[in-house]
Amino acid sequence: MRHWVGICVLILTILSISFVVATNINVLVLSTNVKELAKDYLMYTYYPWDKYFTAMSPEACTSIVWDFRGLDTVFETMVFYLAIIGAIALARGIPLKLPREVKGELGLSLIVKTVTKIVPVLIIAVAGSIALHGHLTPGGGFQGGATAAVAPVLILVVFSQFYLLKRGVNKNSMLLLRSIGLTGIGITAFAAVLIGLATGHYAFVLQNQPKPLAPDVSLPAFVGGQLISGSLWFFNFFEFLAVAAGFTIVFLLITLPEKLVKTEEKEQVEEGEKK
Amino acid sequence: MSYGEAVLLGITALAAIFSTIATYMAIMEKDLLKAVIFSAIQSTIYAFIYYMLMAPDIDLVYIPVAVGLYPAVIIALIKKTTREEKP
Repeated sequence: MRHWVGICVLILTILSISFVVATNINVLVLSTNVKELAKDYLMYTYYPWDKYFTAMSPEACTSIVWDFRGLDTVFETMVFYLAIIGAIALARGIPLKLPREVKGELGLSLIVKTVTKIVPVLIIAVAGSIALHGHLTPGGGFQGGATAAVAPVLILVVFSQFYLLKRGVNKNSMLLLRSIGLTGIGITAFAAVLIGLATGHYAFVLQNQPKPLAPDVSLPAFVGGQLISGSLWFFNFFEFLAVAAGFTIVFLLITLPEKLVKTEEKEQVEEGEKK
Repeated sequence: MSYGEAVLLGITALAAIFSTIATYMAIMEKDLLKAVIFSAIQSTIYAFIYYMLMAPDIDLVYIPVAVGLYPAVIIALIKKTTREEKP
């Protein structure tokens, strides 16, 4: 085994660095106290006694991601969607459709298929729970969407792509779902401004709870006694839709059977020459 | 620091060493499919480390992306190219 030497050197390096850090912890590590900024964030993430600074969500990460630094997240979302638009543009003109004839059984063996019939349901359920409880427990829209995208990947591998295409999970339906998600994020971002325009008050883009300069406009933190944290629940839900659909499009395009596309292109060229 | 905390941190440190070994094997392995599996092992250990370091938010996005989606992309790539790494 020629790898053993390398592995031993690696372990020795790690152990020696750990030894140096552990024996000089007072010199290398500056402070073990929680920083003031972090303390403020942790305190104001759910703080109903001061409406002007809180995000009304007990989950610090979600309230930072979608409220305290909401504009950053909007740009992050934009980067992700530009990447997916790039993937779609690369596969332009390639039809995702069923083949004219299918030879034999598609996909993996019966045992794998039987197990996979159960698992995607569980994955989607967990993903929905992660996304819709994103403002209460760890999780959120992107996490839930990425989890939900594992289910179509599993079906793609085990049942073949045609199983999904036959059931209406194709590029166009996923693009529609993704566009609904994006539009939802946009509307939620401008919701406070729209309310402000309707009621004649001053309001901000991406505003959630009332702010010192816009004290009259806010999105409801509670609906029917349930905490939804204003805009956070809507952001999480729409991001979930958009991320799950975006990943599904990319995987549908990646697992495209190349032979089928090439024969179809050849046929189209031949037909064109005949005309 | 209590005794229990020290034990848990020790387990985390041990897991970190194993993840480094998995990364090394993923880089050195010539069979790319095996390299993807080593990379997935490293990702699984990282998911555990994130959990132990009390970062459940990043963990929830790391598990599907690094254990599910990323190996799927690389395996699709290997299927369309070659399985052996050429020198």
